[in-house]
Amino acid sequence: MTGVLEGGVGSPSAVGQETLVELRELVVDYVLGGRHIRAVDHVNLSIGSGEIVGLAGESGCGKSTIANAVMQLLRPPAQVTSGQVLFRGQDLTKLSTEEVRQFRWQNVSMVFQSAMNSLNPLMRVGDQFVDMMKAHRKISKSDALARAATLMELVGMDRSHVRSYPHELSGGMRQRTVVAMALALGPELMIMDEPTTALDVVVQREILQRVQDLQQDLGFAVLFITHDLSLLVEFSNRIAIMYAGEIVEAAPSDELFRRPLHPYTVGLMSSFPSLSGPLERMAGITGSPPDLGNPPSGCRFHTRCSHCDPAGRALYARQTTERPVLREVEPGHFVACHLLDTP
Amino acid sequence: MGGPDRERAGRRRLRLPGWLKLLLGNPKSRGGIIVLSGIIVVAVIAPWIAHANPNDFSLIDSRQSPSFHHLFGTTDQGSDIFSQVVWGARSSLIIGAAAALLATVLATTLGILAAYSGGVVDDIINLITSVFLVIPTIPLLIVVSSYLHSRSGVTMVLILGLTLWGFEARILRGQALALRNRDFILSAKVAGEGTWRIIFSEFVPNMISRIAAAFVLVFYIAILTDAGLEFLGLGDMNHASWGVTMYWAQVNSSFLQGEWWPFLFPGMALALTVAALVFILAGVDEVSNPRLRKDRKRGVIRSLFVGGRGARVALDAKDPA
Amino acid sequence: MRWFIRRLGFYVFAIWVAITLNFLLPRLMPGDPLGGLMQRLTPSQIQGNPGIINTFKIMLGGTHEPMWKAYPIYLRNIFTGNLGISTSNYPSHVSDVIGRTLPYSIFLVGVGFILAFILGIAVGMVAAWRRGGIVDNFVMPSLLALAAFPAFFTSLVLVYFLGLKLGWFPLQHAYDTGVTPGFNWAFLSSAFRHAELPIIVIVLVFAGGWALNMRTIMINTIEEDYVGMAKAKGLHDRRVMTRYAARNAILPPLNGFAAQFATAVGGLVFIEFVFSYPGAGWTLQQAALGADYPLTQGLLLVFAVCVIVANFIMDLLNFVLDPRVRTA
Repeated sequence: MTGVLEGGVGSPSAVGQETLVELRELVVDYVLGGRHIRAVDHVNLSIGSGEIVGLAGESGCGKSTIANAVMQLLRPPAQVTSGQVLFRGQDLTKLSTEEVRQFRWQNVSMVFQSAMNSLNPLMRVGDQFVDMMKAHRKISKSDALARAATLMELVGMDRSHVRSYPHELSGGMRQRTVVAMALALGPELMIMDEPTTALDVVVQREILQRVQDLQQDLGFAVLFITHDLSLLVEFSNRIAIMYAGEIVEAAPSDELFRRPLHPYTVGLMSSFPSLSGPLERMAGITGSPPDLGNPPSGCRFHTRCSHCDPAGRALYARQTTERPVLREVEPGHFVACHLLDTP
Repeated sequence: MGGPDRERAGRRRLRLPGWLKLLLGNPKSRGGIIVLSGIIVVAVIAPWIAHANPNDFSLIDSRQSPSFHHLFGTTDQGSDIFSQVVWGARSSLIIGAAAALLATVLATTLGILAAYSGGVVDDIINLITSVFLVIPTIPLLIVVSSYLHSRSGVTMVLILGLTLWGFEARILRGQALALRNRDFILSAKVAGEGTWRIIFSEFVPNMISRIAAAFVLVFYIAILTDAGLEFLGLGDMNHASWGVTMYWAQVNSSFLQGEWWPFLFPGMALALTVAALVFILAGVDEVSNPRLRKDRKRGVIRSLFVGGRGARVALDAKDPA
Repeated sequence: MRWFIRRLGFYVFAIWVAITLNFLLPRLMPGDPLGGLMQRLTPSQIQGNPGIINTFKIMLGGTHEPMWKAYPIYLRNIFTGNLGISTSNYPSHVSDVIGRTLPYSIFLVGVGFILAFILGIAVGMVAAWRRGGIVDNFVMPSLLALAAFPAFFTSLVLVYFLGLKLGWFPLQHAYDTGVTPGFNWAFLSSAFRHAELPIIVIVLVFAGGWALNMRTIMINTIEEDYVGMAKAKGLHDRRVMTRYAARNAILPPLNGFAAQFATAVGGLVFIEFVFSYPGAGWTLQQAALGADYPLTQGLLLVFAVCVIVANFIMDLLNFVLDPRVRTA
């Protein structure tokens, strides 16, 4: 794995890295009836080229919305209320339909949450490669199919499966196929949205290992979205933790592992049993994710935080009324928490 | 709220059942209910608004276009079409409802029975249903009707009900299949409740909305089919009804002579009734499947830009405070 | 393959039921079936058709014999193509009458319903893809409103305005009087002209239903992950709409087409009646009114078989279009 990178959240990446994708004060709302549900609340995130950034959080915290925002795939009732999504400095929302169409998959591709359903059940797998390639460049069908076969091999599948229908492949094979498809046009960023949730642990491992190897060879950046923090710690350079639509902590992965600062991160870390370590009592996090239509006041996590105590007087007042701001408490380590703010 | 207060509140407000509120909330079903109620009212007050006996004929008045005296004109025999249409409403509504009731009862019973019992019973019922679905209903009804000695209202209800139950049986079976393995069914089974009891006190209450929708569907199909048979001369031809009026008009080539009123008025009445029921059905559909609803706050023009392309930046970026 | 055999078996069974139903229906009349039928005839009919008793014998497979003896005779008659002699078209055989009239109906249905299907599916597809657009807000509701009107009503309206008042289309029958049927241009062009209005009626009446069905299913299909993925891959909007969404969405309506075919046949009868178009439907109605039982029975059988065959073709189509069925 490449060494720890210093791309700060919200700041231009460090020397030697160029910023590929930058989210600036991004706000995404879901408008249902008269209600506005804020799924992404003033998020700042940047991904440098060749960087593996992990995005973790519980279901419904806004991770997938961010992924869709980068791909310009948000559909009503979702809307980008304010903020920018920049790719190499260019505002994606200002692109024409045709430019967006070309941008998609060529520059940024995505591995969806359920590969099972990502493939058109009525088309052969190879044909699904072909139409994607033909949409982006002039290439003959036979060339496209040949390239598809090569890609399949790259992810560890037999070439002959190019002629298969999706329902003829196993879950793991479909996942690999989708990864191969995501790499077909040599994108600079590959977003993986919960890519292994539906797979068993062994297959999970294999596929992630494969992706890691490919990433090292081809040098693309990865935005890895998952609720499984343990995977991220192994796999990514930098990790951002999301809660209720906000980023509450971001740091290089081993730093985060060693010193998680935000109480939520601490809770997440302790929620995953280690397969090989000693038996421990699991702590978990009390309570449940907030209703984004009516989030808690002040710090959104305060209702579940073990460090939020009415006895704390002034601190408690801040926790319940003031939204914590993401601050760099150590080089490259950003946290949004009142506990670490010394007023 | 205490006791006496609650009573007072109850007496003050009109308590509508929940489902009616839902349906009245949806514009499609609201429109349908209003129109249908209007037609029912007309049918009920028929004796008072129809001044003439629909079966009267007088040759002097024959083939007259609509006038003040004969609002909808007269037939070739001088009968008042307005009376025929108004009295015809009764016939269509009653026969349609009765046939729909029969068909719905059959469809519900057989559908749920098939889903719940599974196995051989399911196969047999499926087979019967499939066969019924594959034999075309109108030709079948035409042939059956031609054999009948007498075609009374009751006979019509019977033959309609016995032919139109097929497609809803299949749909209801599908729904019942989804319910079959739910806990409340299984616990009733384990508790030893008999098959019929389970069907009627467990399945039916949970499927009531679908069953009601089935009823509405068969209702309008029955009305159409009944009128259709009469139009072809094969229904109960001895009473005032929309189909009968149109039959005589067709047979007497009124149409080709430019006499449009014996067709238009009964036809419009029929179309209106059917449309009302169809809209009610559409409303029920939308209420049960929210994805079909359009977000009414968005104008047509804005939708032209945003729809179909994936959402782009909102045209107005207001903070939703 | 197994599935195939099962479907085929079912259809054979259905045909058998249709045949048997034909056999049973006249016998459901109280009393002697032949006597019951004879009661419906007028004296002039009996006088004009001397062989009528014989005809009914053939139709019923023997008159005073018990059902279980008459049935095999009846079956044999059916399978040798002997459907009896039409009483209203005496002495023509029922099979001849049907042979003369069925082609007209098939022409009407073939052109009309397929056009209705194509139009309906296209409208439904676009209406779902561009929610709130012109097609969704105007074209769809109009088609739906049209579909709500009973088939014969729409026919009448169109006949009145386009035929009578504007004189654009011929009003009745299948071809002009004075033209002899056959493969000659005068006949074919005349037949075509006469079929135009009925076909228009069919399209207007039935397209709405297809459109609504397609739109509903398409709306659900659009939510599917593979459609989202197709968009994400940067495919052209149109390609995603057709190759990914519509292609998948069309399968249920296609199956529905087969089920709808029975309804379609019903509608055909009315349309032919209004236009006095001498197809099988009009003939059925006339035969029913005139108590021409051999003919009505023969036609019912033919209709049933047509619907069954249409269903079977749809099954085949499904097999070809959906690879998941093939593997099952």
